[in-house]
Amino acid sequence: MMMLKLAFRNILRNRRRTLLTVLSMAGGYLLVSVQLSVTEGSYDQVLDFYTRDTTGHVQVTVDGFVETPTLYKAFSLTDDLQQAIDALPGVQATAPRIESSALGYGDTRSFPVSVRGVDPEREAALSYLADKVSAGRYLSSEPDDQGYAGVMIGAQVARQLALDVGDELILVSQGADGSLANDLYRVQGIVGQPGDVEERWVVMPLAAAQSFFVLPGEVHRLVILGADYRSAPRLAERIGEMLPGQELTASSWQTVAREFHETMTADKEGGMITLYVIVFLVCIGVLNTVLMSVLERTGEFGVLKAIGTSPARLFWLIVLETLLLAVIACLLGGLIALPINLWFTLQGIALAEPMEISGIVFSHYRGQMSAYVFGFPMLVILIAAALIALMPAFRAARIVPVDAMRTL
Amino acid sequence: MSSVIETRDVSKHYGEGDTLVKALDRVSLGIAPGEFTAIVGPSGSGKSTLLQLMGGLDNPTHGQVHLANKDITQMSGRELSDFRRDHIGFIFQAYNLIPVLTAAENCEYIMLLQGVPEAERRERVYAMLERVGLAGREGRFPHQLSGGQQQRVAVARAMVSRPNIILADEPTANLDSQTGSDLLDMMHDLNRNEGMTFVFSTHDPMIMERASRLIRLKDGCIDSESEREA
Repeated sequence: MMMLKLAFRNILRNRRRTLLTVLSMAGGYLLVSVQLSVTEGSYDQVLDFYTRDTTGHVQVTVDGFVETPTLYKAFSLTDDLQQAIDALPGVQATAPRIESSALGYGDTRSFPVSVRGVDPEREAALSYLADKVSAGRYLSSEPDDQGYAGVMIGAQVARQLALDVGDELILVSQGADGSLANDLYRVQGIVGQPGDVEERWVVMPLAAAQSFFVLPGEVHRLVILGADYRSAPRLAERIGEMLPGQELTASSWQTVAREFHETMTADKEGGMITLYVIVFLVCIGVLNTVLMSVLERTGEFGVLKAIGTSPARLFWLIVLETLLLAVIACLLGGLIALPINLWFTLQGIALAEPMEISGIVFSHYRGQMSAYVFGFPMLVILIAAALIALMPAFRAARIVPVDAMRTL
Repeated sequence: MSSVIETRDVSKHYGEGDTLVKALDRVSLGIAPGEFTAIVGPSGSGKSTLLQLMGGLDNPTHGQVHLANKDITQMSGRELSDFRRDHIGFIFQAYNLIPVLTAAENCEYIMLLQGVPEAERRERVYAMLERVGLAGREGRFPHQLSGGQQQRVAVARAMVSRPNIILADEPTANLDSQTGSDLLDMMHDLNRNEGMTFVFSTHDPMIMERASRLIRLKDGCIDSESEREA
């Protein structure tokens, strides 16, 4: 307690210098925290959107399908399994998917398409597919009054095959049993805009896709949406434990979209370099302060050693003083960062041009309020402060009392 | 009588070759318990250097210093710190109190290092400050005290941890004669009544008058020694 008192009073000796040091460290904390909040908020938006729209948080597939998807790697999805996964805590939605390719025909043209078979209701609850309908209407499980299954087509498919809502689309492909698959469908809606990821899609009800590809009762993926994309690996682990047999596997979105995940991680780490540069610049200033403070008190350290203070205790006194400065700075920085990060989270910065991805509009850069945004800068600054203090503390601990006291 | 502190052939040299300065040259002496000894001599005679070596604040170029039957010249920095803390009290010419600690905290500090329980620390500090005439000023910081009062705090700090010996380097040099005389009377009383051993480095006649033993240094060597009834 006495050492803490001594450290605290020491940092209050030169109040102006302490204030400037605290302000510089608090400024560093503030910059790091706000930048982290905005960066994390943006990544959060992107990843939340991406996983919800594309991969879900976890997928159950036949082992190897994620790496090399083929028509033949399908599995029988039982109601029991789906209900068991639906009942897991944190699971928001599940949706089965079939994916393969086909050749689409309009009146006079053909065009290669990517066929997606989905459960319309479950898919609407899981992904943004229902929000991306740019013309016509969303998919229906029921065939129309003429017995045709309805499909939604991507904008590029519509343009290449000169199709519109209400027109007929013929698909030709290969069935899982080796037969020639072909059928006629009614265009019920157009999905997205040219240039979107869905531009080559033909989306049809799951039952129609199972019939077309001769996959009765089978699916390629069971997509699962959990509570949070961050906890996907844990959810995948839990689902993996309940899968029957050896051939099925549960993969988190980080595995399913490995390349995307690695790109995002690399981008994020690149952004961290800026933060470390900020901390480094702050550290230079703080190092100067600590060195000055130690230099000024060399004689006093000599006295402290003369009357019995051990080198280790003197070392920790300097480290403690620097850490106290850092803690005060972080608290001050945190107080200032709190309303700023809150504003970024609730309000955000409006983009000059709203960004549209597959029909979903991003209009604001948003921040994030999390323990990480406030805790990480504190941790970095405390570690940096401790490292800064090492050299001056080591010097103070090694002084010879009689030499040091000559400076008094 | 066995010595509290003993120097054996202690030398302290600075520089080398043509620039070699022998601050102390083969000095051997012993200080008996309860002595009130003054090491005197002109400036540069080596009296402060001798005191520093006796207190383990510096290492001799040659020779040994024995305190409490241990050769302190062979100790590591950590061992020396602990040894000074437990066995030696220092009084410096410039008081050298810790400016951010109060009078009581300055005295308490060494006992804190010694691991003395808080209640006992408080009791001993208040008793000692009363003993040196500073009752009621326990909570004052050094800058709120006069030079004489600061030196009294330094005496209290040196004594409160109950060391074997107190080494005082020119303790009256920064004080006016009346304050210096009062302080010396106080230390002399402590010496006579409590048997505390004092060694001074000084050229103050007031200390020499009170000293039971005078050791005169000249050019780093003992020039003469005299004992008298103090």
